[in-house]
Amino acid sequence: MSEKSKKLGKIIKAIWIFNWFNSCGFAELVPLVGSRWDMERFGMIVVGNPRHADVLFIAGYQTLKSIKRARLVYEQMAEPRVVLALGCCTITGGMYWDSYNTIKKLSDYIPVNMYIPGCPPRPEAVFEACGKIFQHVKEMD
Amino acid sequence: MTRKMRGNMFTTSESIEPAIDTNYDLYFGPAHPGSGNFGVKLKVDGEVITSARADPGYLHRGFEKLMEYRIPLQNAVLSDRLCVLEPLNWNLVHAEAVDELMGVEPPERAKYIRVIMAELSRIQSHMIWYGVFCIGTGFESGFKIAFGYRDYILDIFELITGGRVYPAGYICPGGVRRDLPEGAEERILETLKKAEEMIRFEEMENPTLLSRSKGVGVLKSEDAIRLGATGPVIRASGIAMDVRRDDPYEVYDKLDFEVPVRTEGDAYARYLIGIEEMKQSVKIVRQAIDKLPAGEVIVPELRKPKLNTKIPEGEVYVRNEIARGEAAIHMVSNGSKYPYRVKVRGPDFLHMIPLLEHLLEGAQIADVPAIYWSLNICPADMDR
Amino acid sequence: MEVVVEERIVKDIKANLNIAGEVKRSRRILITLEKEDLLKVSEWIKGRGFEHLSAISVVDWLEAGIYEITYHVWSQEDKILITLKTSINRQKAVIDSVISVWDRSAGIHERELHELFGVNFEGNPDLVPLFLEDWEGPPPFRKDFNWREYTGEKYYDQENEREHVYYE
Repeated sequence: MSEKSKKLGKIIKAIWIFNWFNSCGFAELVPLVGSRWDMERFGMIVVGNPRHADVLFIAGYQTLKSIKRARLVYEQMAEPRVVLALGCCTITGGMYWDSYNTIKKLSDYIPVNMYIPGCPPRPEAVFEACGKIFQHVKEMD
Repeated sequence: MTRKMRGNMFTTSESIEPAIDTNYDLYFGPAHPGSGNFGVKLKVDGEVITSARADPGYLHRGFEKLMEYRIPLQNAVLSDRLCVLEPLNWNLVHAEAVDELMGVEPPERAKYIRVIMAELSRIQSHMIWYGVFCIGTGFESGFKIAFGYRDYILDIFELITGGRVYPAGYICPGGVRRDLPEGAEERILETLKKAEEMIRFEEMENPTLLSRSKGVGVLKSEDAIRLGATGPVIRASGIAMDVRRDDPYEVYDKLDFEVPVRTEGDAYARYLIGIEEMKQSVKIVRQAIDKLPAGEVIVPELRKPKLNTKIPEGEVYVRNEIARGEAAIHMVSNGSKYPYRVKVRGPDFLHMIPLLEHLLEGAQIADVPAIYWSLNICPADMDR
Repeated sequence: MEVVVEERIVKDIKANLNIAGEVKRSRRILITLEKEDLLKVSEWIKGRGFEHLSAISVVDWLEAGIYEITYHVWSQEDKILITLKTSINRQKAVIDSVISVWDRSAGIHERELHELFGVNFEGNPDLVPLFLEDWEGPPPFRKDFNWREYTGEKYYDQENEREHVYYE
């Protein structure tokens, strides 16, 4: 086991999440914290400070104004960090493919580790993706 | 220099005064966990806010412009995304605007289904309101319970429309996309019982919430009119303004419900109005299911949507009452298949900019989340 | 449907201000006026009970060369919505602000329309941009702004065939 993967092992035990959501993310990510889906049983906690977070959830379309703040948030996070992008609008622009104020592909602006499609993605899809983060983190070098 | 300073510090008594300026700028949002995609720049003196300036635009995607280049069939789907917390209500506003322009009258059954969906949407939106208000005032259990109970209603939406959050244009011009599935009425009635359990829980007096919200963010009735408040916010300030009753649409004039009013105008009054409205919505859905007639759910000429359906020339202004207040669409058509101009009037555009700035002036920093969330806000329909 | 109150209001406006109104349907009145009369009519209907300014909207009629500005005002006493409609020249887009009548609820609508259409509201002290940050193009809601070309140039990678804009 390399030095790096030992460090990454810390993430594997519990994922601390910072949410950077636009409205769609709010409607489907907040229920994840609620009592039905309850992501704390998998050791996932939402934190209020990007400096404490391992994983950044970026949900929904980003406008030119909000992507600047999202980058600031990303830069504040400590290494190793993982970015999950939720929703179709982060992949191609989705519904807003011809809007003059939203970005089209998130990975042009921030390195993204995993995309979760859907408009918005269902909670099960988010859980499946988080299960795959464990795998992904082990393979990261 | 240092020696001189040290000398000063130990010899004279004048330099004990702290040299810190108590006036500073404070940013609430956009990365604040309790703000959503919205920021407020606060000028602060000690603990008291001297002036506030809203900083919107994080979600501006040119919605009205997008709608001008899409046919009503596409716009029905797009209109869900106006505000994620109550997509069905926005669906309804758009569908009504196109109906009125085209001069079609939806069948009676479709109107009742529209009312049922809109009121269920209002209940779940008020549950979100309660949940985030609890988080803002430091009561985590309320948040968890609210979002747990909300999921029962989302299951109903999934059963009827196929989507948990976005109905993908279920309420479309001419009626609704498809009829209620088998056994949907019984499931809705069961869910209403769950919603009533939630209301009972909300009604229990909670000292944390009470002490954080009572007497906080008081809005006088003359200010409420001046700043353009609508919906629960203006009703908590003593003015009984409700589009469902004053300017009835669909079948609201055939249903029996009350418009709750309170006179205190503080955050706690707004919260109580929210509870009372949920009760009324439960009542409306029960009546609507009771009276639900049989028949068609969409007018025959729009059952099979055609891509080049022209919108007749004209201009309409359609108002609806959504959970947050008055929603309206001003639609102008020049006779082509696209609407020429769509203006969306969201309630939060006025609640979040002039009203919030007014309420925050003179408030304590610790009260900001309570005031902010008591307005039942959604940044998406403000920025559009 | 009965339109008794509506017709009485239209008559009142005709008698007091000499401006013709039209009853569109129950609870809807349309008044078309010149831009010079706007403040006078606004003040009068505000005094008549039309206190809630629901929205201000601008329609850009490119071929006619005008901006059509509509004010939707609701009266809680009479339960009637009046639509004031006026038009201004597209080249000289200046109109009086109604901030003195409906206060900040009008001011915020005007601030938004100033940014999105470039209409100047004279007398509004606060017309700083609201939504767009570092915006270089013309006011985006104007009909002559080729926004799809703008989007294509700004966001889509020209080399990648799949990323071309695919509208008609």
